[in-house]
Parts: sequence; structure tokens; C-alpha cells
Amino acid sequence: MTAARIAVMIAAFCAMSHAHAQRATERYIPLGQSPGVSQRVTWIGEIAAVDESKRTLTIVEPAGRRTVGITEKTRIWLDRTKLKQPNLTGSFADLQKGRRVEVKVQEAERRQAADWVKVEIAGP
Amino acid sequence: MRSSVRASKPHRFRRLRLAGGLFVAALALAACNAKPPDPQAALIAKGRDIFFNETFDGNGRTCGTCHREERNFTIDPAFIATLPKNDALFVAEFNPDLKQNFENPRLMREFGLILENQDGFDDLPNRFNMRGVPHVLAQRTSIASPQGPRTGWSGDGAPGDGSLRSFATGAVIQHFTRTLNRVAGVDFRLPTDLELDALEAFQLSLGRQGDLQLPLALRGTVAKRGQEIFLDNGLGKCNVCHGNAGANLAVGNNANFNSGVEDLPDQPARLTGEKVPRDDGFGRPGDGTFNTPPLVEAADTGPFFHNNAVATIEAAVAFYDGEAFNNSPAGKFLASTDPKGVGIELDGTQIAAVAAFLRVINALENIRQSLELLAQSEALGFFERAQARQLLKRAVSETGDSIAVLTGGGLHPEAAADLGEARRLIERAVHSLFFRHSLVREAIQAQNRARAQLIEERK
Repeated sequence: MTAARIAVMIAAFCAMSHAHAQRATERYIPLGQSPGVSQRVTWIGEIAAVDESKRTLTIVEPAGRRTVGITEKTRIWLDRTKLKQPNLTGSFADLQKGRRVEVKVQEAERRQAADWVKVEIAGP
Repeated sequence: MRSSVRASKPHRFRRLRLAGGLFVAALALAACNAKPPDPQAALIAKGRDIFFNETFDGNGRTCGTCHREERNFTIDPAFIATLPKNDALFVAEFNPDLKQNFENPRLMREFGLILENQDGFDDLPNRFNMRGVPHVLAQRTSIASPQGPRTGWSGDGAPGDGSLRSFATGAVIQHFTRTLNRVAGVDFRLPTDLELDALEAFQLSLGRQGDLQLPLALRGTVAKRGQEIFLDNGLGKCNVCHGNAGANLAVGNNANFNSGVEDLPDQPARLTGEKVPRDDGFGRPGDGTFNTPPLVEAADTGPFFHNNAVATIEAAVAFYDGEAFNNSPAGKFLASTDPKGVGIELDGTQIAAVAAFLRVINALENIRQSLELLAQSEALGFFERAQARQLLKRAVSETGDSIAVLTGGGLHPEAAADLGEARRLIERAVHSLFFRHSLVREAIQAQNRARAQLIEERK
């Protein structure tokens, strides 16, 4: 088999694997401080509405209102840094109107589903 | 009597003038040596300082705790055994808050393994991986892929945007914390934007800045044959994934593969009976793939693979002849490209030859780096001795590596002797007040003699 053919096959084989950032330590990064991401591909604002049936979240951020989907793959974290408490894994129920959140959306072009949501827990 | 030995006033005045003149001359000389400020060099220097000294208000570790410069930015059991008990590497042994689920001291000391929580922090006793410390050399040319940067063993080591710049943030959270609560501002502080910039610049400055162009005109009979096997897409097939012995595909950039390392029988860490969960590699849940590392730096940065499964470069090459690799997705894929349906099948002499090739290109890289350090130190003036000394100490270390890499494979004894001479000269230069430059020049000659025995000079 020629080197060129192997090259093409290898390129196809590797195209199956995608790259992404590590999510494990992301949970411990306070709202607005994610390197290379915060305020570039995230929105930071207050939750204006939560639609449980449609599984959507609407936030108000400086540029306006944004609505994103919350899927099974969306990670929700409770940012308790201001309380000097460890951050926790949250759930859809923690998305409550009035709470400050940071939302990272999947694929900047589509901006449909949230990759992760950090919910700021500022008080007990 | 005393008055007779004291200098007269005009005499003292002349001495004062002479001393003043010397002082002014010294200042002028220093001014002549001063170079215009280079912002990139300053950023790299800042990154170096952070890398080795900044603890980020954490448990005392720095990046350099695991990525030791004198050990090619990695660590191994032999080196770990030389460290004092209170070294920050062993923080889990003396900080009660980190005693459980932060490290496994036995596996760290016996096999150089570090505990990682790539799959999350929700079940610390059960969900973790034990991984070796990858060196951070040649990242300029080793981590780019069309799908994004691939950092760390599984290519997904960095939080945020997944870039090398963001890597330090995740490392601080994973490895620098004072307690397992991992609260920013309490257990550590996160790196600032400027610190991330500096760390990235420093890491990108380390090691090779480009890939080799194979084949090289090697002189050693066995290493030359090893290179042929390495490049032969019908035999060694190494160059398919490690193009030019780097970390990139022969046809492009860096990539991930499931090469079956996790399926190796008798993995040293698991033989201990300690809990070592299967490492699922890239992603969460993982897809079983790991990132392709560069090979030029391999021979002096063992143990090998993400789990430090084998200790020698010969064993690392032999892995690709075994069942674990040939039954893996990557091995089967290679077999599918072979007219006879064979993955990789090498005999003992061929394995030794490929390893010899890897040893020689590693030694050549050591020599290149030593020559660079020696040239930098030679350019420094009398009043920059401290800086020169640091460069020379690094050159001693690099030269020691080149000797070890060659002698470990029984290769090029004459070149090793020349490198030994070079190391002695550099060690003398470190301590010499007046002969540093001449000793460095002699060391450069010895390094070049050694190099000429490994490879034919380009015309």
C-alpha cells in the first residue's frame, strides 16, 4: 500500500476523534474566570426565565436576552466560591430565576444548547 | 611607625581616582554588554520564574515539582528516591488534609505515578487515574491538531478553551490544592491572565521548535538500520503516527489513538495490588484514546506510556510487536492498511535497532540543546556570571543525558567519551572566574566532535 493511501486512511481514522477541554477541573473555576472562555464564548447574566417543559434557560446579559437549551449532556455546577465552600454538581432544579449564572454554549455558531452552566450561590 | 606605612594624602587621592576610574570602566563595560529589552524573552523569563517558584498559595507545589528541569521536565522513581521527605511532591505524606484520595504514595515512589481525576471529583476513592508525568519539551511542534490543541496524556488536559495557556489553571486545581475542597481563594489562587501568558510562552520555548526531517545521515550501523525500519511503512510503520519521530502524523498534526496500552498484561502498578482503575483516556466518559507523544525526546524521559508501563525505550518499542497493540483499534487499523494484514511484527534485533535510532536522535537533540546553552553562556560578559552559571549547569545536565542515552544502548562509545570530556570542561567553567569563555569554547569543540561521530555534517 502506498504511503499516500495510508496517509488518507489515517487522516480519516483520526477525523473521528474530536478535541475538547477538560471538564473535571472546570467545576472549581469561579464564575467568569474560565481561561480563554469566560466572556468570549460564555454569557454571564441573571436568570430571567426557566422553562422546565422545553428544558430551556433564558438569561439577561449586557447584550440582551439569551435562551439556551439544557440537555442531558449539559453540566450544571454550583459556584460557592463566595461562601468559601467547595463547588458542587448541580441539577436543573438549581436554575432559579434571579440567580447569576455563566453559560457556555456548544459550538459558537449554533448557540443552541449549553455545554455547562455555573450557578453562583452567594448566600445560604 | 604607623605614619610611615600610611599613604600620604596625594597617594591616597591617586588610589581613590584609580578605584573610581575602574568603577566607571566596569559600569561602561556592563552598559556595553546590556542588550535592548526583548519583550518575548522577558515573558519567557517570567514564565520560567512562575513555573519553578510560584505555589499559587497552595500546598507548596510548583509546576517544577513534577516537571523537573534537571530531569527533562519529568520525574522517574530513581529521581524521586533522591528527594528529601519534605519535598512538596510528597505533600500527601505529611499534609493530613491530603492524606486520602490525593495521591498514592506507594505508586508515586515505586513507579513515578501521579493521581489524576479527569473523569470528575464526585467519587474520589473510586474514580481516578494513575498517570506518569509527561515531559513538556517540544510542545511548539507537538500539540496542534485540526480539532484543537491536545494537551496532556489524553489530549484533553486543559480546562477553559483547552489550550496550553489554560493548562496551568487545571493543574493548580488538581495538584496544588491545600485540601480536597478545592476552593479558589482558600485552597489556592488561580493563575492570572499575565501568569498564563508567561507560562505558555515559557513552555513553548522549551526544546525543539520544529520537527526533524528524516532520514538523517546517521553514521551508526544499527541506528541507521533502525531509522530504515522506523520509516518503512511496510515494516516498522512507526513514521505513520510519529512523523519524523515527532508527535504528528506523517500527513498532518497531532492525534489521539487507542493503541492498547491499557490492555497490557502485568502492568507494574497493578501488580502491587493497589487500586488502579482502567484509564479511559480522552473525554468523559473516555473513548480509550491517548495522545501521540514526540519520540525525539523519548529515550531520556522514561518510563513510557501514560501509565509508566515500561522503563526502557527498548521495551517501549517492543510493545508495538505485542498482542496488546496489534489487537487494539490502532493496531487493527494498521493491519488493514497492510497487504498481508499484519499490524507491526518486529524481531528482537529490529526492536533493538529502532531503539538505537531513538537513542541516537535523542542524543543529537541533547547535543543541540547543550550547544545552544553553551553559546548563550559564551555571549554573557564577566558581570553576568550568575546567569552564565545557570546556563552551564543546564548544559551539564543535557550532556549527562546524552552520555546516558548512548551508553545505555551500548552505542557510540567514542562519542560518549567526547561528551564526557565536554561535561568535565563545562563543570570547570561553572566554577571558573576567569577562564569560563575558553573552557566553554573547548566544550563546544568536544560536543561537535561527538556530534560528528553520530551524524554526517550537512554540506
